[in-house]
Amino acid sequence: MTLEVDVAARFTATGTDPFVIDVAFSVEEGESLVILGPSGSGKTLVLETIAGFHLSKGAIRNGDRDLTDLPSEKRDFGFVFQDYALFPHMTVRENVAFGARYHEETRDPETVLAELGVANLADRTPPTLSGGEAQRVALARSLAIGPEVFLLDEPLSALDVPTRQALRDDVADLLADVTAVYVTHNRTTARAIADRIAIMRDGELVQRGTPETIFERPASPFVARFTGANCLPLDALGEFGRELREREGDEEATHVALRPEYVELEPEESDLETTVQRCTREDATNRLVLSLPAAATEPTASSESSEPIGARSTDGGQRSEDDRDLTLEVFSDRVPESGAEIGVSFPREHLTLLDDSDEYDDPAGETE
Amino acid sequence: MSTGSPAAGSTGADTGPVAGSTGRLGRGSAVLAFVLVQVIVFALAYSAGRTGLYVFFALGSAATVGYLSHRGWFAVAAASLGAILLIAVGLPIAMFVARQQPSLVIEKALSTEVHRMLYLSIYGPLLAALFTVVFGTPLAYLLSEGFPGDTLIESLVDLPLVVPHSVAGLLILFGFGGGGAFPSVFVLGTMIGLVLAMAFVSAPFAVNVIREAFETIDAQMEYAARVHGANRFETFRRVTFPLSARSVVTGGVLAWARSVSEFGAVAIVAYNVQFFYPPAGEQITGQHAPVFIFNAYTAGSLAESSAVGFILLVVSVLIFLLIRWLAYGENDTSASAMP
Repeated sequence: MTLEVDVAARFTATGTDPFVIDVAFSVEEGESLVILGPSGSGKTLVLETIAGFHLSKGAIRNGDRDLTDLPSEKRDFGFVFQDYALFPHMTVRENVAFGARYHEETRDPETVLAELGVANLADRTPPTLSGGEAQRVALARSLAIGPEVFLLDEPLSALDVPTRQALRDDVADLLADVTAVYVTHNRTTARAIADRIAIMRDGELVQRGTPETIFERPASPFVARFTGANCLPLDALGEFGRELREREGDEEATHVALRPEYVELEPEESDLETTVQRCTREDATNRLVLSLPAAATEPTASSESSEPIGARSTDGGQRSEDDRDLTLEVFSDRVPESGAEIGVSFPREHLTLLDDSDEYDDPAGETE
Repeated sequence: MSTGSPAAGSTGADTGPVAGSTGRLGRGSAVLAFVLVQVIVFALAYSAGRTGLYVFFALGSAATVGYLSHRGWFAVAAASLGAILLIAVGLPIAMFVARQQPSLVIEKALSTEVHRMLYLSIYGPLLAALFTVVFGTPLAYLLSEGFPGDTLIESLVDLPLVVPHSVAGLLILFGFGGGGAFPSVFVLGTMIGLVLAMAFVSAPFAVNVIREAFETIDAQMEYAARVHGANRFETFRRVTFPLSARSVVTGGVLAWARSVSEFGAVAIVAYNVQFFYPPAGEQITGQHAPVFIFNAYTAGSLAESSAVGFILLVVSVLIFLLIRWLAYGENDTSASAMP
């Protein structure tokens, strides 16, 4: 059965502007859709709206069942919360058995707990559990009622890194052939778990596709930056930028995106000369931050006329974005000294030219 | 608006500054030693006829404890200033207890009249507390969820806090007395009138405490119950209510305590109350304790009224401790266990 969601909802809180979510997507049977977006983009609200916790307009269907007007308890979802939401006044066993009396077919709490490797916790109470244990129990509680669709709200983000990685593998196995909507701001988790990813920004889905499409071919500078790609303004690349525009025949393009792992260091023929700004050791590799050459970063005539330099430097947010625009992130086994000059080249097959207008037309999103 | 619960206040007291500095010795024994020293010094000062000296000792010991626990002028200042308020509250109680005539207290404690008064003054407030909790809990739940116009209802709930209590008595008479909403109901001098007057003045305490408890429950806890199949009632019964049960008890205790001490509204609605007294097996007429004590006082005997007052004080404290022990005793899972 395919979960089809087309909802809009408006959220008001005193002292802030109303926040609107407006999304439409579908999830095939057995598919895991990850909604990936920054904090405050409305991901959790989307999930909660699907679960029926908030009033909304539109329609939610699961196969031929129309869930739109059903209360939460009749929608047959499993929901895993970021902060576990275990009932503190019940034991782990009672938590897992919570839904048993409301469902005809439920699974034995002990069995589900054993599957998740936490059978030994059955008599404990939630406040005595670690984060990883609590989330496994929360997963067990959802599994026990045998839901048709799982909704997972950043279930790993409250955990420390080793626990997160271990649980992520288990969650990936668990979601391998169940229908799920998984919400996260963590791109690594998204890539590990998703069959398909939808990028969310300000209450709307701005790009949808397979993990490969999203990560390799971002549709906008926002998606490129959020998925960890280098996103450089073509104007800042001087001659190289002009050459890219001409070669692709895309005069509207404003940015070029390239994932850090594809940048080649010290090739035979460099596209750009850069300066090593910082080198950070990260797990198995080094992350280099390279400054683009001063000549290339001089503002072009057009940007100078529209935005005086003084105006930019007074705006903190704008400025940091600029700083980031003018650096290049690269993964490398080498450890060059700070300040060293280093040539880089951009493999053409991995480059994506982008237009920075925020409007994103998503004709292919549903079919991918 | 102050609806701070005495229950919460007294819990705070036994983990106060003294405890902080003497963790290894055991907090309980340190607190007990401190209280014992205070009682002994007070007793010595009182028997020497120089109770005023004790005030300086109490201030000094508060400042010392403040210094020992946090080693700074701020803690000393806070402890000393706080102690002034504690003395203003605690000294009258200590003096009141110390100045009782034991023979008179015993005489009063054995008197039938006082037994009847005590029965009425515990039972009446109990009914009022039950009334406010049973009907106040659903209201508190709705207020915690929020609805259009909820601020208006909250104001109405809080209104009795600012209405002078004698006026509250008049309101009950106008609302439910002769010519009121229910002609068949008699409130003047009846148990119903007594309970309504008490409920009127104590409802805000119960409703606000229970509402705040509901509000502190993470919405996700209720979402979790709903999505796993529980409807709204089941969610309330199995999750929301158990997680706020303590506060419901606290709200009830507050309402009960407020009702026990109510004078103004009761004096107007039910100065003399007709009620069924089980030991006598019949309807009798008696007075609610504050009215009874006021009566004895205006009749000219400070000693007699204070002896009755002392008995009421002891009984109230015992009941308060009993309820606290029952509600918060050994098992410590709900409030502190909230994630």
